[in-house]
Amino acid sequence: MDYIKEFEELLSNSTKEANEASTLEELANVRIKYLSKKGLISVMINKIREVEDKKAFGEAFKNCKDSLEAILNSKQEVFQKAKINEELLKEKIDITLNGRDFHEGNINPFFKIIREIEDIFIGMGYTIEDGPEVEKDHYNFELLNIPSDHPARDMQDSFYIDETTLLRTHTSPVQARVMEKNQNKPVKIICPGKVFRRDDDDMTHSHQFAQVEGLVIDKNINMGNLKATLELFVKKMFGEKREIRLRSSYFPFTEPSVEVDISCMNCNGKGCSMCKGTGWIEILGAGMVNPKVLEMSGYDSNVYSGFAFGIGIERVAMLRYGIDDIRRFYQNDIRFLNSFVKKVED
Amino acid sequence: MLVSLREISKYVDISSLTPEEIANKLTFSGIEVEDIKKSAEATNLIIGQVISCVNHPDSDHLHICKVDIGSQVLNIVCGAPNVREGLKVIVAQVGAKLKDKEILKTTLKGVESEGMLCALNELGVDEKYLKPEQISGIEELGDDAVVGNTKVLEYLGLEDTILDLSLLANRSDCYALFNVAREIGALFSLPVNIPEAKEDSTYVEKDFKVGSESTNCKEFALKIVRGIEIKESPKWLKDCLNSEGIKSINNIVDLGNYIMLLTGQPLHMYDLDALNVKELTVKDNFDCEFNTLDEKTYHIKNGDLVVTSNNEIVCVGGVLGGLNSEVTSNTKNIAIEAANFNHAQIRKTATRLGLSSDSSQRFIKGINKDQADFVLNLTTNILKDLTSYKEISNILKYDELNHDQKVIECSKDYINNRLGTSFSYEEIKKTLTKLYFEIVDVDGNNFKAVVPNFRIDIDGKADLSEEVIRYLGINNIVTILPSTDMTVGKLKIEEVKTRKVEDFLISSGLHQILSYSLISKDEVNSFNYLNKEEGYKISNPITEEHEYVRLSLLPSMLKTVAYNLNHQQADFGLFEVSNIDTKKSIRKHLSVALVGKKYGIDHIEEREYDYYDLKGIVDNLLASFNIAESRVKVERLKENEEFHPYRSALISLDGRPFAVLGELHPLKRKELGLGKVACVVMECDLSLLFVTKTKNNKFEAISVYPSSSRDYAFIVSKDIKFSDLKREIKKQSNIIKNVNVFDIYEGEHIKEGHVSLAIRITFEAKDRTLKDNEIVPIDLKIREILVSKFKAEIRQ
Repeated sequence: MDYIKEFEELLSNSTKEANEASTLEELANVRIKYLSKKGLISVMINKIREVEDKKAFGEAFKNCKDSLEAILNSKQEVFQKAKINEELLKEKIDITLNGRDFHEGNINPFFKIIREIEDIFIGMGYTIEDGPEVEKDHYNFELLNIPSDHPARDMQDSFYIDETTLLRTHTSPVQARVMEKNQNKPVKIICPGKVFRRDDDDMTHSHQFAQVEGLVIDKNINMGNLKATLELFVKKMFGEKREIRLRSSYFPFTEPSVEVDISCMNCNGKGCSMCKGTGWIEILGAGMVNPKVLEMSGYDSNVYSGFAFGIGIERVAMLRYGIDDIRRFYQNDIRFLNSFVKKVED
Repeated sequence: MLVSLREISKYVDISSLTPEEIANKLTFSGIEVEDIKKSAEATNLIIGQVISCVNHPDSDHLHICKVDIGSQVLNIVCGAPNVREGLKVIVAQVGAKLKDKEILKTTLKGVESEGMLCALNELGVDEKYLKPEQISGIEELGDDAVVGNTKVLEYLGLEDTILDLSLLANRSDCYALFNVAREIGALFSLPVNIPEAKEDSTYVEKDFKVGSESTNCKEFALKIVRGIEIKESPKWLKDCLNSEGIKSINNIVDLGNYIMLLTGQPLHMYDLDALNVKELTVKDNFDCEFNTLDEKTYHIKNGDLVVTSNNEIVCVGGVLGGLNSEVTSNTKNIAIEAANFNHAQIRKTATRLGLSSDSSQRFIKGINKDQADFVLNLTTNILKDLTSYKEISNILKYDELNHDQKVIECSKDYINNRLGTSFSYEEIKKTLTKLYFEIVDVDGNNFKAVVPNFRIDIDGKADLSEEVIRYLGINNIVTILPSTDMTVGKLKIEEVKTRKVEDFLISSGLHQILSYSLISKDEVNSFNYLNKEEGYKISNPITEEHEYVRLSLLPSMLKTVAYNLNHQQADFGLFEVSNIDTKKSIRKHLSVALVGKKYGIDHIEEREYDYYDLKGIVDNLLASFNIAESRVKVERLKENEEFHPYRSALISLDGRPFAVLGELHPLKRKELGLGKVACVVMECDLSLLFVTKTKNNKFEAISVYPSSSRDYAFIVSKDIKFSDLKREIKKQSNIIKNVNVFDIYEGEHIKEGHVSLAIRITFEAKDRTLKDNEIVPIDLKIREILVSKFKAEIRQ
């Protein structure tokens, strides 16, 4: 008997049946028919006894079996993938619907500006200090060279708790507290915080607002140092193109005192409605610490000198983001908060 | 302070300068010019005379006028009630540009009109300086007006530019025109001619006594003039006052105002014949009613400076004169006072009485104490041009003031070191000299500077450095960063922790808000669970809404929630971090509100925010600060009408109140108008969290052996707290790693007041794989405890 022919026939029949199978089940039946223990191909092994060239027979048997198995496997894989796909299809979703709310919350621009200012000055080696909002007039006024008969101490300008206690009207009392603590040691601090003035709330006034106070005291501190520091700050805060100019001014606790303007970020100094056509925008007050203030807080003004500056937080935020009304910071309209996307700004 | 450049030009020649140049230089040297404005703005004006005036046939108020303007006669329709034949008028010819209109040839109710007859406000004069009839009608010109004259503004005294100075507290000297002229002269290196005042007494007054019994008035000077005539001021004086924004009254009152404008020294005029005796004394020990010349009655209190005659008040010193000694149209003899009243006392009195005047403001800001003689002599010098007179006395004076001139020792090096500049000694000396300091050389570096008496603000060498730099140009400073020792910049540890909390909440989708620290009485009395300390009350609030310093952040938070709901915002989370100042401490608080639904999107299954969202925040906060569960206690709040009594909690940390959280009470919800929207709120004492000591993190090896778990389902009373259950179970063995609830059910098939719980207990050992026989006895023990201790009904 020509077993070779027999194998060829078996393989050709089974292949044909496998190819005709259209489901996983039919395919399994082909496997059972030919390759199970009693399958038509499997049982062929019994004929090995009858042939002489057992090696050749063995090879032919293995070839036949492997070939069919390969065909069945590959066919099975195709069926299985098709079946999985069918199931996946049932799980189809609309990929264009809105996603679940995974967004970050937003930050009132007020806090964003405070953090930015803090980070700029930390980068310059400053530490951050704070102090009480309910303050003694001693720190809020006296130690800052604002004696009791000074017009700035008019009852009607400040919120008083009692005769000697009030809501601080600026962050400068933190200066006085830090100096008192440090006596004749260098100081390099900023202190952000809320302050209070007895103003009616309107677009540009608020009975509560915030400042950042800066103070540097050391030997040989001069006005050039102040100007350089502010210039650096302004460029970091409002962009490298910004320039500053100083105008002589007056604060009881600094001498000389200056108002600092920056070149308008809207028109680059050409003049527009934002800067009222001047090309410049008033941004902060500063000066060399008045020697009387140093002496009152225990510093030898012949050895130490210093500079101080005060920046209005809301004012900076309003300029940066074009916010029209200071009351918006305190209203916390979610639509307002949502308009400050946390873009990483340089 | 309004400064007329026409007046300034009488003392310093500014013809080569534009108003803008002057304003710019003043502003940069510390005298801010807020505004530059022209007294009037109008072109193409001419003086005319009405030669005929008839009523318009088709109008009830228009007149048809023929107006002679010299070269021709114009036909003009005019609606002013006071237009009449013979009147000399201001004519705006066709093509004239007025403040806010342009004059065109027009036809009014069929009659052609070739121009307009003007009122002063139409030329841009501020209405506050005009009488009502000057606004309702056209300006009536005097006989001196020349028909055909086109220099109308000059004729009207309106050809002037006014600088509006915003003076800071240090430059009170510039409330005097003389000193503004000095400043401009110095800044532009122009010669300044301040008039000399001549001693012009015609007799020596021997009988009249002046004095002061108050330490708040150390100088009181007087000059007496007899035989004067009260009348209208001449045009030049009226024009001057007009430009400075002061109404003209009569020659004597105007003179007082004029001298004050020039010198900064307020004067007061008494009707000499109204005084009972020949004596004026300053006192401060009265407590009585007093009638002032504004025909009102004020209560004078101890301390108020008053000028008395025969121990009877005749004037509230520096603030307002008395009705009893007022200069009237019949006054013949006057006493002119130039005194130095203490600024603080004047401020006190003026503020209390609500009387603020140009005089009191000048005293409050500080006056030159060394010019009384000059001022009084200048007054009588000028008075001679305003009225006839019979006699002028010498100066009568009480003077206990120290008139020593201030001398400041300073050096070139000090100034340069302070400014970071390298000016030469000569530059510095020249600058200070220009600014009217007298410099006495010492050694080429050191010098003495004698301060000019009008600069009352200068009192130390730091002030001299400012004078130098404001003059030489503050923008000439060379910028150089401080060359101090290197320092490490950093946040305080508390701020680092605050930022961590803020970042956690922001990452969780909550928005950070900012609110007012001052709240109302009702608000301050609500939500006080964490802070039992006494708070502050404002003694002089503006409104009841902002009267108390808050003790809790929740009232403001709920206000913000309500605001947003009222503005159609739904489904949001908010938080605020803020300090709270009380009489005892300053604490940092956190408030949180979760409103509406988590995921506000309808195609995804959404759910309302509830208690457990807040509890999750607290749990996570505590975990992120490494605080062991055993230190935390969760209790129900005592009955209240702010929180839902059974869905709220007070969480304490080491026995101190740390957080309050929960759903709002229906009554509170109603009060806030929250409607059906879900709203849960929380407040936390972050300071407590920040100071709580915890163990340092140390890495614990992860077990390489598998863990196994068993589930238990049982019915238990709702009074049983899971935290107790968990603690008790954990006690049973150290191989119990975790106890978690994975299902809670109540309702059908579960008896009232009970709940069905399903928990999963995880077992794990670090050194071995757990065998069944190790777990079985623990499992039995757990079941026993559930039944015996917690009366649980275990489901099989």
